[in-house]
Amino acid sequence: MLALLAVATPLGAQIDGGARARLAGRVPEAAIAAVDSLVRAAQADDLPTEPLVQKALEGAAKHAPPGRIVQAVAAHADQLRQARTLLERAGGPPPTAAEISSVAAAMVRGLPPPLAERIVTALPDEPPGPALHAVADLAGHGFAEDAAVDLIVASARVGLRGLRLLDVATAAVHELQRGATHGDALASVRRALPDVPSPPKPSPAQVNRARRPHPGV
Amino acid sequence: MSGFADALPPDAEVIARILAGDTDAFGILVRRHEAGLLRFATRMLGSADAAADAVAEGLIRAYRHLASLDDPARFRTWVYRIVANRCKSHLGRRSAQGVSLEEAGPVPDPYDGEAELERTEQLALVERALTTLSAEKREAFLLKHVEGLSYEEMAAVTGERIPTLKMRVHRAREALLEVLKEHR
Amino acid sequence: MSELDPRIHQVLDGELPLESLPPELQATVLRLERAAGLLRAAEAPAGVATRVLAALRRPPPGGSRRRRLLRWLTERHAVTIAMRPVWSLALAAVLAAVVLVPTHGTGPLLGAQEGIAQFVGHFPGARSVDVVGPFTDWRSGVIPLRDEDHDGVWSAVVVLPTGAHEYMFVVDGERWIADPLAGRYVSDGFGRQNALLIVRPVGR
Repeated sequence: MLALLAVATPLGAQIDGGARARLAGRVPEAAIAAVDSLVRAAQADDLPTEPLVQKALEGAAKHAPPGRIVQAVAAHADQLRQARTLLERAGGPPPTAAEISSVAAAMVRGLPPPLAERIVTALPDEPPGPALHAVADLAGHGFAEDAAVDLIVASARVGLRGLRLLDVATAAVHELQRGATHGDALASVRRALPDVPSPPKPSPAQVNRARRPHPGV
Repeated sequence: MSGFADALPPDAEVIARILAGDTDAFGILVRRHEAGLLRFATRMLGSADAAADAVAEGLIRAYRHLASLDDPARFRTWVYRIVANRCKSHLGRRSAQGVSLEEAGPVPDPYDGEAELERTEQLALVERALTTLSAEKREAFLLKHVEGLSYEEMAAVTGERIPTLKMRVHRAREALLEVLKEHR
Repeated sequence: MSELDPRIHQVLDGELPLESLPPELQATVLRLERAAGLLRAAEAPAGVATRVLAALRRPPPGGSRRRRLLRWLTERHAVTIAMRPVWSLALAAVLAAVVLVPTHGTGPLLGAQEGIAQFVGHFPGARSVDVVGPFTDWRSGVIPLRDEDHDGVWSAVVVLPTGAHEYMFVVDGERWIADPLAGRYVSDGFGRQNALLIVRPVGR
């Protein structure tokens, strides 16, 4: 391990060892070459590769046929690329791998790209993930997409940042569950801004019981 | 193409040299592949300047990731893929700004004879027809009919399945013929 | 857009000889080949060799190697390597600073920390229940749920990086179930839906 830390190839080749090692023995042979190729292309394109490796491992675990696995990985690569384009168009510094993954994950939930772009553009100082997921949460419960975006943007503007935006979505959904119409739910939450309940924190007992996953073991 | 091209070693050998420390040997790969890559990127992006950017970026990326290339003999399809992806990124960025894909006129021809003039006009027509295609169909048509890749090589470049690529090429041919027919 | 006689495509794809076509179809093939020929023959734009080689000769920016090192340290395998005690303290200090900035996974960087995820499900009669997701490399057996009092309610509490995580329950090693209590679902690209969980940092 020490040697790995010290290595510096003349071309600065990636130290991460490639996807093949992680796919071997799990992903069907017939899919490995194609998936590896997609991963390398993404790598050369400065796109995050971990989501692609995970998609292949997921397909293997679910016993998907090799062609389907390759298709899913290619589709996800396209989603990452689309997420990056969206972030670039919104302006600002070049997006990080984390931001790209985050936006792609939110868009896999079905947010139309123009809507996602609207959110990212309206909130340039926000990490994109929570805002996008908050709108997706609302859309998933039948709220009109534009109204959902308006609420989240308004919430951010009164100082609710990051994950607190998810609480805004939760509050609107709770209103719905209490019998309000979609329009009334949004109006009610909007009136209450910035006063939106937070979820309960985990108890010390829960934190003590919590285990870390070790997939390599 | 240079008459000395045959005397130069194949891609796999050049790559071995580069990885052994001979950075300048990458120039051989650049000069060997740049014409095709530039031609492809120019048709994809409709602009020689944007194409130069996409190809330069792609080649620099290829250099940086050269050690990760599994099969050095497949450098050509690999670098085409990198450049095809750069083109897609450029197109994605551009569509928001509403830039027309018809920026580039036909490449000026040094000879001014009548036959040449007709060729230039025909080329302009074909180029205009290309811009009417979607990016995927344009890419498929260019790779197949201009860059001369096999469907297998195209699959390696685009990551798409062969039946999908065939369909795109077939539709591209039909669309192109339609546009060409209207101007006869 | 009219469809062409499929034999035209077959000739152009190299599956049929040109001579097998009647004259008017041959003319169409030739028209397309002439169009492609014009594109091939057009003068090549000025080369990029000078520009590319000049860029490669420039020394890489100072941060780039450190960034790569940082990325390697935060890759999943970094936290599962067995470290020898002699230099593990130094590495642990670096890791502690760095692992708080997750840079991979399906939905990282909602917060720069880790949080608690509680998985609960009602599976009466089950012999085993696992949670699988990218945080287990989609392997079973990494996060088994437990039903200590045998009332059919299985649970586990797990430390996960903050952010969005897709997951599924696997019951008795073979039944894949999207957590009915999840409230958020995502198409998995394989014809099913994964549940989606958003983990928040413990501090907030």
